[in-house]
Amino acid sequence: MIYLHLFLEFFKIGLFSFGGGYATIPFLYHISEVYRWYSLDELTQMVAVASITPGPVGINVATYAGLKSAGIIGAALATSAEMLPSFFLVIIVSKLLRKFSDNFYVKSAIETLKPISGALLTSVAIGLLKPEIRDVKAMVLLGILLLISWKSKKDPLFYIIIAAIAGVFVTFFPALLL
Amino acid sequence: MPLFKLFLIFVKIGAILLGGGYVILPIMTNEFVDKRNLVSHDDIIDYFALSQSLPGIIAANMSMFIGYKLKGKWGALAAMIGVTFVPFWCIVLLASIIGALVNNSYVQGALWGVGVAVIALIILTVREMWQKSTRSAYFYAIFVLTLLTLLVFKLSPIQTILMFSILGVVYKRLWEAKQ
Repeated sequence: MIYLHLFLEFFKIGLFSFGGGYATIPFLYHISEVYRWYSLDELTQMVAVASITPGPVGINVATYAGLKSAGIIGAALATSAEMLPSFFLVIIVSKLLRKFSDNFYVKSAIETLKPISGALLTSVAIGLLKPEIRDVKAMVLLGILLLISWKSKKDPLFYIIIAAIAGVFVTFFPALLL
Repeated sequence: MPLFKLFLIFVKIGAILLGGGYVILPIMTNEFVDKRNLVSHDDIIDYFALSQSLPGIIAANMSMFIGYKLKGKWGALAAMIGVTFVPFWCIVLLASIIGALVNNSYVQGALWGVGVAVIALIILTVREMWQKSTRSAYFYAIFVLTLLTLLVFKLSPIQTILMFSILGVVYKRLWEAKQ
């Protein structure tokens, strides 16, 4: 029975949460209050773990909540239930786009999506940059990373690894950087 | 490309998807445009906006769009399972260990670094998108208006996308009627 509830709850999250991983947290809060599968303290811990492990935060936290609620089967159920609505929607939207690619309205919408997409990403960059702007160490590291990349493009993993090492180094020798 | 190969690419993408879902765009561009030339840069940009307009997790939506484009519904399924493969086992097998590590200062340091790398990657993606788009007056107008709406009026991405796609289509319709 718990499996059915778990599946339905996470299917609902997948269907009704807009705007990425953190948008799913209110739903998880609600689940904790209604079913008591995990406590609110555990939820905080789950979000922290979900943000540092690889993968989208919203999926990770679903996996973890499923695991806490009903073990490994629960984890698999919660993860797949959360993605299932998007799976069908993506297929439907892709099919419609293909079928109506010559349609005036679809063409105009797609043409408009490009600058919208650019603006969305720019606003994400600004949003992420704002809290860091007074952190001199972060700005120096950012400057170095951008300098490295400006001339020749590298694998994203390259920047992630270099920056993680730099972060450990800064923690290890804080005095060096003062 | 065989389905299993596609699955493995998504396993890799899931494994290096650190620091939130937004790095999905640079990672996808690297894997599918730069390295393999399977998807056009334009398509990737469209999928990014579409993924934000649909419910669910943006990075997962984008993976499924690309999976579907390359290999139909089985491709979308391979993308869905692939991109969550490493994250899933990471949580199931290591959650308790990772839970204990969250407050470790070296882990915190590494995460701080990853956070800065994510900003760098997103700035680079903005730059690349800017270089690769054909920029008409229409492009600039929509770009500036959308950015202002997001920053000043703090509308959510989904509201902004809906509002400006409708405005754009209406404008184009009227403009064409005038021609």
